Amino acid sequence: MLDPVMFTGGVYKHDLVTELIEDLGGYLLQKNVTQSEIILLMLVPHEDMPVLEALTKELRGKLERAPLAGTEIAVVTPTLAIHHLPHPACDVAEYIRRHGAKSNMIGMGRGVAREIAQMDEYETALINEHDAVVFIFGNFVDCILKKEHLYRNLTIPVIVTGGPEMEKEDFPYAFEYVQNVGRIAHRSRKATEIGSLDNIVAAAGRALDSVRASISKDPLTTTPPRVMEVVREQVPDIMHSYSPLPIALNLNGLRIKLPYEEYHEAVAGVKFDEGVTLGEIAKVMPSKMKNYILVRILPMSETGFVV
Amino acid sequence: MEMDPLEVFEVEMPGEDYGAEKYREIIMDILQDLGLIMSIGRLYVYVDIKTPYFAVFGMIRGKQPPLKVEDVGDLVEAEGGYQITVEDEEHMANLIRVLWETYGRENVEQPDRNVLVVLSDESPKDLVVADLETEFKRDLMDALIRIAPEGFRNRRSEMGKDSFFFFAAEETIKPEMVAEAKEKFGGMKDA
Repeated sequence: MLDPVMFTGGVYKHDLVTELIEDLGGYLLQKNVTQSEIILLMLVPHEDMPVLEALTKELRGKLERAPLAGTEIAVVTPTLAIHHLPHPACDVAEYIRRHGAKSNMIGMGRGVAREIAQMDEYETALINEHDAVVFIFGNFVDCILKKEHLYRNLTIPVIVTGGPEMEKEDFPYAFEYVQNVGRIAHRSRKATEIGSLDNIVAAAGRALDSVRASISKDPLTTTPPRVMEVVREQVPDIMHSYSPLPIALNLNGLRIKLPYEEYHEAVAGVKFDEGVTLGEIAKVMPSKMKNYILVRILPMSETGFVV
Repeated sequence: MEMDPLEVFEVEMPGEDYGAEKYREIIMDILQDLGLIMSIGRLYVYVDIKTPYFAVFGMIRGKQPPLKVEDVGDLVEAEGGYQITVEDEEHMANLIRVLWETYGRENVEQPDRNVLVVLSDESPKDLVVADLETEFKRDLMDALIRIAPEGFRNRRSEMGKDSFFFFAAEETIKPEMVAEAKEKFGGMKDA
């Protein structure tokens, strides 16, 4: 089993960590360099953790579990206006990011108000490309209940956040409701506010576990990190992508940040050691996000084998 | 009328106790951000979330006189004119603009970052540098728009000499709605 971990330390000698991960058969998901600091997001074989821990200690780095690593979570606000941003949406997105997930903030075009709020087909499809979604709603019970139609058509687990105390039964279409968030006009810094952020991360963890459980009933033909490795090797142009995360992992596939028209054939043609190509075991399609490539790995029931 | 800053601050939202409590915090945060708390004496907020509408009535504390040249810097008579030394640079841009408009660019010199010299016999003592009243009202409007829930895009405001009334709704504003809000404020003020 692979453990998701986050390494924080100096840039100096960090290549020792990346080399070790490679030798152990783990995966490097993301590498963020901020001046002399570096953050590495990795998947490491569980039984080899002590080796990595020893190296981390030697390099005076910090190793933390990142339970949400390798997933993409959308944080949705009614709009991107000053009423909803930066607090608390940015706090939530940042907090989820610190736990290893890739969080994308999405402001709806017409998500405001009680009667006129709506979400269009494009927004629904875009959010559905994620593994889970957090909706940031406000302080009024009535409005939170009325806005149910915004997330009713989503196929991924929905975590609704709002201010007032409400029952789980009020949200038949949501995975979970996290209270005490609501609309605020200051940064989350009080213990209770940070506690609510922890609740959101916990809820996101449970939501992702439920997705993992349903995937495990009909396992994917291969794992997303493995596809990532092969694409990195065989489509070297991905190294020239300007995105901070050129390949974003989902639980059931990945998003490759290269123009679809130019590269989808190259991506579909990457070959695994077993002799199959990615096009045979996955759907390669245009992503709703910019003109990126979206890869959805087919389950075993469709391909009949696992590589 | 003499009032303490925010001596009365009431928020009423029937059926939404949590919302009322939270909106108190939001209003405080926003007024603090924009530095308006000291200028508001009483504030009443009434929200009917079923209709829905959002209404605010407030009383302004005291009147702020226009800011003159002698209020923003030290004015001394110098050779061939007047010299102004500015300590607080907040109004520097406005001050230079006013001096340029009055004396012409060629008669205003700035030998140092915070020193201005006016080459004229006329004292600039009474020139108005900034109209604080207008600035305050602009900031207040900005604050009210930020405070009201974003979906409430139909707005109406009445700015009085020492009070203001702000009303925002999602649907078209009807006179009955405004009248109802005003009546509620009447009740809140008497209570």
